[in-house]
Amino acid sequence: MNRDELQEQIVAILVDDFEFENPGLADNLRDDHGFDSIDAIELLAKIEKMLGFQLAREEKEKAMSIRTINDILDYIEGIQAAHSS
Amino acid sequence: MKRRVVITACSAITPIGYRRSDIIESLQQGRSGVKPLRDDGLLTQYIHSRVFGTVDYPIDYGFTRKDTKTMGPVAFYACQVAKDVLAASGLEQKFITSGRLGVSFSSTHGSPTVQRNIYKTFFSNLQSEFSSIGAVDYLKSMVHTTAVNIARMFGITGRIIASSTACTTSSQSIGFGYETIKYGMQDAMICGGADEYDTTTVAVFDNLLACSVDYNDRPQCTPRPFDAKRDGLVVGEGAGAVLLEEYESAKARGAEILGEVIGFACNNNGGDLILPNLDGITATLRLALADAGIRARDVDFVSAHATATKMGDVIEAQAIDAVYGGRPLVTGLKSYMGHTMGSCGAIEMILTLYMMEEGFVAPTLNLETVDERCSMLNHVREITNTETRIAAIQNFAFGGVNTCLLIAKNR
Repeated sequence: MNRDELQEQIVAILVDDFEFENPGLADNLRDDHGFDSIDAIELLAKIEKMLGFQLAREEKEKAMSIRTINDILDYIEGIQAAHSS
Repeated sequence: MKRRVVITACSAITPIGYRRSDIIESLQQGRSGVKPLRDDGLLTQYIHSRVFGTVDYPIDYGFTRKDTKTMGPVAFYACQVAKDVLAASGLEQKFITSGRLGVSFSSTHGSPTVQRNIYKTFFSNLQSEFSSIGAVDYLKSMVHTTAVNIARMFGITGRIIASSTACTTSSQSIGFGYETIKYGMQDAMICGGADEYDTTTVAVFDNLLACSVDYNDRPQCTPRPFDAKRDGLVVGEGAGAVLLEEYESAKARGAEILGEVIGFACNNNGGDLILPNLDGITATLRLALADAGIRARDVDFVSAHATATKMGDVIEAQAIDAVYGGRPLVTGLKSYMGHTMGSCGAIEMILTLYMMEEGFVAPTLNLETVDERCSMLNHVREITNTETRIAAIQNFAFGGVNTCLLIAKNR
């Protein structure tokens, strides 16, 4: 999955499941959209299903530093690269 | 320090209506909220009782995902009635978040719907690579889910009390909220209880032979408190919330005062966890009178727990007779909506308040032939226009827990 496809899917999830309105790639997830730690755990479960494999605990913990949609995309690309190597 | 505690707002979601006017109309027209038990696709086929006190009208919650992500159905009910009482109260946001407003609210189980989904995952999806147990399922199903979701939704930072004692859950919530204000720990409390549609509870009472089964084809004819042909309780769903405030501050801000909580008592039978206990119940009623500093003859109306079980109603009638004699009017309000479990104390108190305000007492529905063992009471058999100055709301629960709340008309 390339970055554009990833972006499309992640934005769709944030809009449909997390009720984001007009999400911007550099928006602060917490300040601009009220995204909290509970949402982060829920999003990780959706990312696992999207990728088709389970994330390790250390990989999930790294996600806690995510602040923007761009960070989410970077994070997923990093996971994909690690699992394909 | 002992302070007076007044009721300044209330709201109830019940099988006989949500708006105050609908509930009053149901009481005055003898309209039952007991309907056929909805199929849950799991337990219903094994349950003998096929009746349920049902909330079957749409509710416009208007909650956002930010609010609802930690809420199961029971928290929807709870937050809705809490929202109503805050809106009606006119309390300023500054006070709501000040730490001087607390929440005393609970339910019987948390959310059984969510708990059931968790167990489904355990038993049907063990081989799945991905957990389908949500990150927030615990927050939705824990037993204090209603209290903390109310606090979260409105930014309330005061005390949280979540007494989960089955049928006395919300009467304890109100009683403990009353004591919290009376003794100066908080200035206001949102108090009440809620329970959602749940066949687990029906199955439990069904197994104990305590559920009504003879009127499955005529749901509105059951439960039948104090009636010779009663055959058990009917489980129901609903929610009730009251806002309690310290009297002087409520008066100073010009709040509408609906009534006053003047007494509360709670005790335990100290023995059997199921059977009703005359000594325990009688003691509770007397303790409440002592707490209020009033005499038995000052009580005009008793909202009986009256679940329509064979022995429960008889023991309660004996306790009422022992404490009050035959003077106060007595109604079993569960006859209209079944036993709404964790919310019954709050709902029955709100219905009593409505009747006090409107100047009438509704009869016990389906009371056609009074069981002779309950006949010593002053049963309300028809709409009775009367002034109720002081009312007792009594509730009893599995575990041997007994409560009695005494409320007075706005003085």
